[in-house]
Amino acid sequence: MTMAAAQATTKQVAILKAEKLEKTYRIGKVDVPALRGVSFEVEAGEFVAIMGPSGCGKSTMLHLLGGLLTPTSGRIVIDGEDLTAASDAKRTDIRRRKIGFVFQRFNLFPTLTADGNLRLAERIHGNGSGDAERRRDVLRLLRLEDKMHHKPLELSGGEQQRVALARAVITQPALVLADEPTGNLDTENSAVVLNMFQELNSRFNQTIIMITHNPEAAAACKRVIQMRDGHIVTS
Amino acid sequence: MDSLVTSNVRQRPVRTIISVIGVALGVALVMLFTGLARGMSTDLQRRSSNVRGEIIFTRKGSIQLTSSSANLSTKYTERLQQIQGVESVTPVIRYIYQSGSLGFDQLDGVEWDNFARMNGIQIIEGRGPQQNDEVVIDQTKAKRNHPVGSTLKIFGEKLYRVVGIYSPESGARAKVTLASLQDSLEAPGKCTYVLVKVKPSADPLAVAKQIDQELPGNNVQLTRDVFTSVENSIPSLGIFLRILVALAAIISALVVMLAMHTTITERTREIGILKAMGASRTYIISEIEREALLISAIGLIVGFIIAFGGGFLIHKTTGLIFEYGWRWALTAAIIGLVGGAIGAFYPAVRAANLDPVNALAYE
Repeated sequence: MTMAAAQATTKQVAILKAEKLEKTYRIGKVDVPALRGVSFEVEAGEFVAIMGPSGCGKSTMLHLLGGLLTPTSGRIVIDGEDLTAASDAKRTDIRRRKIGFVFQRFNLFPTLTADGNLRLAERIHGNGSGDAERRRDVLRLLRLEDKMHHKPLELSGGEQQRVALARAVITQPALVLADEPTGNLDTENSAVVLNMFQELNSRFNQTIIMITHNPEAAAACKRVIQMRDGHIVTS
Repeated sequence: MDSLVTSNVRQRPVRTIISVIGVALGVALVMLFTGLARGMSTDLQRRSSNVRGEIIFTRKGSIQLTSSSANLSTKYTERLQQIQGVESVTPVIRYIYQSGSLGFDQLDGVEWDNFARMNGIQIIEGRGPQQNDEVVIDQTKAKRNHPVGSTLKIFGEKLYRVVGIYSPESGARAKVTLASLQDSLEAPGKCTYVLVKVKPSADPLAVAKQIDQELPGNNVQLTRDVFTSVENSIPSLGIFLRILVALAAIISALVVMLAMHTTITERTREIGILKAMGASRTYIISEIEREALLISAIGLIVGFIIAFGGGFLIHKTTGLIFEYGWRWALTAAIIGLVGGAIGAFYPAVRAANLDPVNALAYE
């Protein structure tokens, strides 16, 4: 038994560690700090909301955690792999294996059916034929079985976001990062999608970090991190 | 197959059609030009191969691909006939004039009975030419709406009456009497060359050497060396064809590059999504290259269809002959595919290097 495995048996494993994260954008000749030394941990199976006013650094945080941006300083470790020490290609590889994204604007490929979007995720992940059982479970959970051959424009907003959610989790990522997933949905569809997030979290022990302005969305999470001016104010 | 590549090709029809046309035009250009050069060359060679006289006796430089002159005295026929190994001789005027689908056409003036006997030519309809305004033509020319009894314009407005159709095709497609051409060209007692047939027991090369010794200062050539291919007759034709091929490749590459460049700009957000999903640079480049290759392959098929269909229609309307070769077809295929792949490479690399955050924010 490895040391890591031994530790895992005695306490919860931190799937994400962010240490003293700083990010400063250079706009013209002016440095604009977006994150000013943020540290936190997320354990496996947590469903965390990150809230805060516009411009507080939420989106920057999400992009850093997803390896889409590199921090000015600080360290991010996801499922044991140091994202900040990795090359661009390695970060892409970690993102491919460990992270699923859900966006406010769904970001499905409009020319592909729902099924095509899921298969594309599987192909990129390197699992061409996919895990049939996982696939069946996810589709049943998200109630998408009869929507798989529809293109995004033939689906409602709520259905599109459920497909996006299915695409994010189909490859069993260690971490799902959701950027305002209910921001483009009405109240009813928001509730349905939030319910799906909760079910994914409880049924599959899926770790989820969700950025939101919506208090109802935050209420669906097990933990809420509040940010302001590039700092975490409550965690 | 519901892949990003095939769905993009299917669901962006305008982009796909423009790209396909671009590649297809490049391929069709290569096929049509090379097919025409090869077709006309083969046609000339085939007709020349039916000339059975093994030796051509002429003045130096009197026959070119597009010009000829009647500057050889027909009295040479008597001298040639006396040379050992010679079976028969016949004088010919080769007249080349502006006309026809190639821009020039050929007319032979011959002593018909003599010429036909030497070359195994037979009249299959009508009779041989006798009067100065009579012409006989081969079957290919007859098929172009020139039946026996019809007229042909050869010297400006001068009309020649078609009195016979002969076979097999040999040399110029139309033949008049030697006297008729001598009269029209005001070259009495002259011809362009004398065709010499050697006895079966004699070696044509030895006879040619003998003629050269006995009649020095003239040009003695074996027939097989005179009527070479069009490509050899026009040294710059090969260069022209290669330049054409290069241009076709550049056109294909540019069209695909522009189309893919536009597509990548339109799909910036999608590239961002791919990157967020963990697609590597190699994956993104390969997806775009596969799309370009699929478009190029369709363009290739359309290009071949245009070339074959176009060639057929041009042949039907103008009589130009196209002969497509595997080597040039392979070249056209490589041009289409490689041109498309190269054209897509820059947009693909550009897409792969997009900043994912900016790409995701692209409206």
